[in-house]
Amino acid sequence: MYSFTRRRLIVVLLLTSVLLLTLDGSKSGLVGGVKDAFGVVFRPVERFANVVSRPLSNVWRGVLDYSDMRKENLALKDLLVKQEGAAIAATASVREAQELLALNGLPTLAGIDSVTAQVVGQSPSNFTQTFELNRGKSSGIRVGMTVTNGAGLVGKITGVTLERSVVMLATDPEYAMSVKVGACTRPNTTTTAVPQTTTTLVSDGSTSLATNVLPTTTTTSTTSTTSTTTTVLRRATTTTIKGFTPFATTLPPVPGGGGVSQITVPETGVLLPRETGAMEGQGIDRLPVIRFIQTSTRLGELCGGVPVVTAGGSQSLAPADLVVGTVSRVVTRTGTSGPLLEVELAANLQSLNFVRVLLYQPATEIPQ
Amino acid sequence: MKRFFAIIESPFTRAVLIGIIVLSFQTTLFNTLRPFSVVMQVMLLCSAASGVAAGSESGAIAGFMFGFMYDMVLTSPFGLSALVFGFAGYMAGGVNTFAYSPRWWFKMLSIGISSAAAVLIYPAASLVVGVDGLLQTRVIGVAFTVGLFNAAFALPAVFLMRWALVKSKKQMLWAE
Repeated sequence: MYSFTRRRLIVVLLLTSVLLLTLDGSKSGLVGGVKDAFGVVFRPVERFANVVSRPLSNVWRGVLDYSDMRKENLALKDLLVKQEGAAIAATASVREAQELLALNGLPTLAGIDSVTAQVVGQSPSNFTQTFELNRGKSSGIRVGMTVTNGAGLVGKITGVTLERSVVMLATDPEYAMSVKVGACTRPNTTTTAVPQTTTTLVSDGSTSLATNVLPTTTTTSTTSTTSTTTTVLRRATTTTIKGFTPFATTLPPVPGGGGVSQITVPETGVLLPRETGAMEGQGIDRLPVIRFIQTSTRLGELCGGVPVVTAGGSQSLAPADLVVGTVSRVVTRTGTSGPLLEVELAANLQSLNFVRVLLYQPATEIPQ
Repeated sequence: MKRFFAIIESPFTRAVLIGIIVLSFQTTLFNTLRPFSVVMQVMLLCSAASGVAAGSESGAIAGFMFGFMYDMVLTSPFGLSALVFGFAGYMAGGVNTFAYSPRWWFKMLSIGISSAAAVLIYPAASLVVGVDGLLQTRVIGVAFTVGLFNAAFALPAVFLMRWALVKSKKQMLWAE
């Protein structure tokens, strides 16, 4: 080993590196196998080191993070109180939307199985943004699967062993995802009286299928088979979510409904158009951006606060309509490049503990 | 049997064992301690310390080995850390030879400079192999912090790597 000349040594090390990089790039599976084998040997040593170093880590955290955690805890309590009411309303809306999608034969997130996993490690590198989960192949996790938490998109699985898997965060520069973004509505934050119309079906005048609130005007008409109650509501709605407009609720067609469709189609003017773009991670401490969005008369004006959801589709990495976050800033660019949108992710990637892995492997990630 | 002991006593067997232990602390303890949100790179510290303790060539080989082990737990392109850490070991050994009889502070300086250089080179090398987006202004701060930390812990690391890579006279006699 010591007989190597300096030049030979450099050439050999360089060639070996190139060989390793080529092997890694060729996706032959050899590198993955070697990493798996190393993991088997290394894992017990790491576990031992974790036990030994835990007191020191705890002291470090206690000294530096205690006051921050206290402040964060108070802020979270306030937020929790505010969110509880909104969550109940949102759950009802989501359930309704899922029922509609299911009735129309469209795929929904509710139809995708998932595995809950805990974050057990973080990348020791200053450049890559990955987390390690305590679930792997044995739980059905495969490369390419989408990872979410209660708030929204977290990232995707990039490596998996029998009992562990690695998640690349959505902020990693190598992460890219097609997303949908809507235009903003005017006025942005207002307190308005929104007239709402709910159609309620009552079979033989006995069972009500929908619940209404604060009726002001009621009209009842009866036929030989069904009776229909139309309730016109008028209530004050405060909305701070840009891009969200309440519209007439719909009910699925009831079999044998006498040939009269009970589906209320929302007015096309009320539905907001949405454009698809590519969201790319920008690295640590930087927000992901959406490119390839074109400002068009159909889309209207782009502005901050608009929700961003996954686009879905056969080539997409994630199923459709998964919450990603909101647009935090619109950067206007000259020429044909179109605007650049910065996205504030809904999920807090700094404090991940439990996450949900959707057992949905995109077509592009299935090994040939 | 004699050959077996010779392998066990081999400098690079020791280096591998040290590498595994250091890597386990890299992925646990040093992953938690993040001053200024920067992960301390103890594997890089060992690579650079190898160069100072045993010369450029041994430093390059040991650095390559440490980088290879580090690649095993990273998701970045496989072989990239090996290349960069090998360079760090080689550079630290090279810088150290500028002084006829390097003093303790010069060793610290060699390790600090080569560590910072390796941190700066890593995103550039990533760009060459097709990983875009790592080359940012933040890298300068990371390189400075890692360089400072590695310089601070240079002397114990050099001591450890000298024990691993440089055979003492007593050991040589025993091996014969």
